[in-house]
Amino acid sequence: MNEDTQIHATPFPALRKKHAMNRLNGRTAVITGGATGIGLAAAKRFVEEGAFVFIFGRRQEALDAAVGDLGPHARAVQGSVSDEADLDRLYRAVKAERGTLDIVFANAGTGSPLPLGQITAGHIDETFGTNVKGTIFTVQKALPLMGNGGSIILTGSSAGTTGAAGFTAYSASKAAVRNLARTWAEDLKGTGIRVNVLSPGATATELAKEALGEEGQKAYGAMTPLQRMADPAEIGAVAAFLASSDSSFMTASEVAVDGGLAQL
Amino acid sequence: MKKLKGKIAVITGGSSGIGLATAKRFVEEGAQVVITGRREKELKEAAASIRDSVTAVAGDVSRMDDLDRLYALVKEKHGHIDILFANAGAGTVAPLAAATEAHFDQTFDVNVKGLFFSVQKALPLLKDGGSIILTSSVSNVLGLPAFSAYAASKAAVRSFARAWTLELKDRNIRVNSVSPGPIDTPALATTTGLTPEQAEQAAHQKPRHTALRTCSTDSCSNCAL
Repeated sequence: MNEDTQIHATPFPALRKKHAMNRLNGRTAVITGGATGIGLAAAKRFVEEGAFVFIFGRRQEALDAAVGDLGPHARAVQGSVSDEADLDRLYRAVKAERGTLDIVFANAGTGSPLPLGQITAGHIDETFGTNVKGTIFTVQKALPLMGNGGSIILTGSSAGTTGAAGFTAYSASKAAVRNLARTWAEDLKGTGIRVNVLSPGATATELAKEALGEEGQKAYGAMTPLQRMADPAEIGAVAAFLASSDSSFMTASEVAVDGGLAQL
Repeated sequence: MKKLKGKIAVITGGSSGIGLATAKRFVEEGAQVVITGRREKELKEAAASIRDSVTAVAGDVSRMDDLDRLYALVKEKHGHIDILFANAGAGTVAPLAAATEAHFDQTFDVNVKGLFFSVQKALPLLKDGGSIILTSSVSNVLGLPAFSAYAASKAAVRSFARAWTLELKDRNIRVNSVSPGPIDTPALATTTGLTPEQAEQAAHQKPRHTALRTCSTDSCSNCAL
């Protein structure tokens, strides 16, 4: 509520203290793309709320730094969601240390612009290989470890609804991700496992800030009704909501956390 | 987990169902709530069940005088509003061929006009940076046979959230709508005009494809939070 607006101005450590909730006590979570950005922000929030988190990402250096930041209730497994053997290794590690899995945040994704007219097969394969195929196998391979009452969260994007100039492959891949939740909610009927899509818009991750520069961040923020970019922690907060029983009647949903960008 | 510590919240349609469950959760989270509803007895019982930090003001959101009285009381007691949950709504069963003008007017008077003025009349008291939550329904995007007036009125509510987000952005007031599916509330059995068997069926239907079960009102209030 409007406490949220105060939170934005608060530096991260203060924010962390403010939200000492225990909604995820004792839960085990996997977060792909968990070393930086939205994945890392979610990992921080999950750990704060009592979860044990496995972060999965391609860059060992970033993973090491993240685990150092997250503390004793976090592990890192290096790998790519587009490589099935890597995913198998991830879930073997989860099984070995925790036995079962409650929460999967399939968040790893990639996107780069390539205008219509210049799109290559390699570009499509890379984008869809990570965002769609990677998401599918992240979830499919997690299922044997998931008990009743689990939560699967997929990272969509406002671009999945609106499109984004020059981002054909990315936008279409995120529309596909949004649709996965619809079919899986059906496929998972009777298991108690919920699956929802979290769709951010303009989010000020380190990567985005670097790519956009000062001017770009301002321009991007100005496009949203809230007139700024999101702090990754604001996305992590909603991921924690979807992971917890506070969202117990939600499945197949898309939750937009985009400052209104794709909602008007 | 006191996410709403010190906040002042107004909840219309607060005497039962989603409104009451939300009021309880808001109070648990540290808010002071003002609930309003048409039925004085139910409203009093609701307030008693919440116990602390609650004020009950009887009134009908489709009556402008009642809204003025509600907000005058809120102003006197709390001075301002941080959160408005415009939740009062009603729907009765009426197939297209049989629906009367009164049925149509009643549905839109409460769900659309009542909600519109619940928000408009709250604006002078709403703090910049506040939050407005509108109760829509899954029927805002789904067809609902024999509930077409209700479904259309809820689509209007969803649309309000879009326009008001833009109108209120300079005041940093966020507007969102929540769209519950079938919720097992007393209203399902008492105000829809469904027979007990139909209400039972509605409470256990699998809307379109997927719902796991009918929602307890609590999980709905979690989202309003």
